[in-house]
Amino acid sequence: MARINLSLCPAAGVLLVLIAFFAFAVLFSGKPDHLASDALSNVALRTADLEPAGHPQLISIEPLPETDGEMCQWSPASAGENLAAILAEQQSSQPSGGNSSGPAFGKEIERAPVRVIRDTYPTYSAIAVDTKSNEVYLEDENLFGYRVFNRTDNTPASVAFTEPKRMVGGIHTKLEFNCGLYVDPKTGDVYSVNNDTVDSMVVFPRDARGDVAPMRDLHIPHGSYGIAVDEGAEELFLTVEHINSVVVYRKTAKGEDKPIRTLGGDHTGLADPHGIAVDTKNNWIFVTNHGNAKDSKPPRTGRFEPPSITVYPLKASGDTAPLRTIAGPRTTFNWPAHVYADPEHGEIFVANDVGDSILVFRETDQGDAAPIRTIHGPKAGLKNPTGLFVDSKNDELWVSNMGNHSARVFARSANGDVAPLRIIRSAPAGKLALAIGNPGGAAYDDKRGEILVPN
Amino acid sequence: MAKENTKPTRLIAGQATLLSRTMHDIRYDPIHDEFLVTNPFAQAILVFRGGANGEEAPIRIIQGPHTLLDGGGIATSGADRLEVDPVHDEIFIPAGDRILVYPRTANGDVAPLRTIVGPDTTLKSANALAVDPVRNVIVAGTLNRYRGRMGALLTFNRTDDGNAKPRTIVVGPNTKIETLNQLQVYPPKGWIVATQSGDSYNNVEPEGVFVGIWSINDNGDVPPRWKLGGPKSVMKKPRGVALNPKNKELIVADMRLNSVLTYYFPEIF
Repeated sequence: MARINLSLCPAAGVLLVLIAFFAFAVLFSGKPDHLASDALSNVALRTADLEPAGHPQLISIEPLPETDGEMCQWSPASAGENLAAILAEQQSSQPSGGNSSGPAFGKEIERAPVRVIRDTYPTYSAIAVDTKSNEVYLEDENLFGYRVFNRTDNTPASVAFTEPKRMVGGIHTKLEFNCGLYVDPKTGDVYSVNNDTVDSMVVFPRDARGDVAPMRDLHIPHGSYGIAVDEGAEELFLTVEHINSVVVYRKTAKGEDKPIRTLGGDHTGLADPHGIAVDTKNNWIFVTNHGNAKDSKPPRTGRFEPPSITVYPLKASGDTAPLRTIAGPRTTFNWPAHVYADPEHGEIFVANDVGDSILVFRETDQGDAAPIRTIHGPKAGLKNPTGLFVDSKNDELWVSNMGNHSARVFARSANGDVAPLRIIRSAPAGKLALAIGNPGGAAYDDKRGEILVPN
Repeated sequence: MAKENTKPTRLIAGQATLLSRTMHDIRYDPIHDEFLVTNPFAQAILVFRGGANGEEAPIRIIQGPHTLLDGGGIATSGADRLEVDPVHDEIFIPAGDRILVYPRTANGDVAPLRTIVGPDTTLKSANALAVDPVRNVIVAGTLNRYRGRMGALLTFNRTDDGNAKPRTIVVGPNTKIETLNQLQVYPPKGWIVATQSGDSYNNVEPEGVFVGIWSINDNGDVPPRWKLGGPKSVMKKPRGVALNPKNKELIVADMRLNSVLTYYFPEIF
């Protein structure tokens, strides 16, 4: 077989035909053909006479040495380690046939990965607006932080992304799988809820930036998701997925402070609760449920319920049945995430994750109610929206998208496939998120050559 | 050969899939071309066809009072992690103080075929499991509550039932095991591959995380035969691991990095 040093141009077409003919002969003869090799060498000799011509030309062919049938151990081209180093390690490792006579115990291997699959852009799980400072806060559940932008920022189409005014993130912040966000309208303090690890709610001052420790930290139940605050009573409400509950703390709770109320039990209808909103005018709590239910007492048998919104009195506690439930096919719920109550207009807004939509219901709706407004479609550009905020002062609706690294703002009363008023992008336009978030396992499908990752 | 910012080739999500947005394990069955996940919030084992895509429903669901899946704790009971043995047609659930075994083709409210439970098993906070269908051995991994703040690897005979003693127990300070997450077994050579993520519930970046490989016959306070970790590995919180023997690769899902890391690791293949 010959190795060809080739720089191609159309004028080399004749030479390619010759080489292809000889390569054909080599392939189908089963072993290197000395005659073919000699012929290729003759081609090389002839091409050595070429003058510089101002265009690419075949300049040399070098036959490779004959092989004796042994093949070198295959190593991927992208391997981060020198092959010789890996082979040297193998010789000292002496892999065994499955008994205890393998390598000595305790061999430490420090090796870089050959490939890394990750999304390098933020994905926004929740959103809040501070109308006093005219800033919008976006919770990044991919890179574990939050970013602050001007409320009126609008990323031009030609620009890759908008730089935030401030960013908070890093190991000292204790932010991880952060999915719930609240900004105190009086002080600007930022409350962030962690979901599947580092069971904390952390609070930062408005001007926090960088890798800073929170000013307050509350140990919360594992699997907390949504947050809402009753400012008048100074109470803070969290949904807890794993135990199908709503827990209520004093707004200033910290450390190991315990909840002052817990809503939970088989009559509550809570089934993998996610978003939560409070209406302090009518004294209601609204909770979105994904429908993954289980009995609260042993044997805690599971079942699937339809996704829903369940509504409770504001001070509900214990195993209290909902006042009303919105559920059924007309709702179009599809993994309903955060919810926002707008008592001024008697409406509730739902970020409908896999539905790629925002659904608006009347607060008093119940049963299999269709939304009174739905924002959805290519112009709206929603992709896995999980967070939302109604800015009553400016009559706008903000939506954060896990699926396309963006926040979009609409008129509060928007309906249908409408373009947003503004878009804040943190990745090039059209860039979709990888959807890796909290990867707890992996499997390899060797039939398809695919890695399966549950999130 | 996917790398940074590569789009997934398939995405299975949405209400009809019956998936929850928290899943701690996934298993691919190459013989029947199916994959299995748990829904820990609805205490269900979900089986999908291998080529499932989009908002596609599972083809089988194991759920109900006869299953004895009890979602009492967090990752220490009920359907949190699982394993499938496509050779013997069984599904295994590590459930805290017990191991539940179901027929692979079970559908509906099906009782377990076998349950390993009892004081002699020493099972406590069993959280992960892998099967070696060649040697007929199952390996259970625990959280950091097995002995003090340490976790352990226990092996049983695959067909054990009731109050069975483990064949081997790997536990102790030399093992460096704190909390084990997803496990795999490489049956041709009898290696156990285990992710050790430290106390990841209370620490943003726990120290001493690694992917460890033990022999299926190792016993006692023994370190892993190989320990993949350290700064060069970039691992922060390895929770998932899969094997690609054809390319001699270890695939690690890292929660803190929100990443999938692929290592070339010919030593164990």
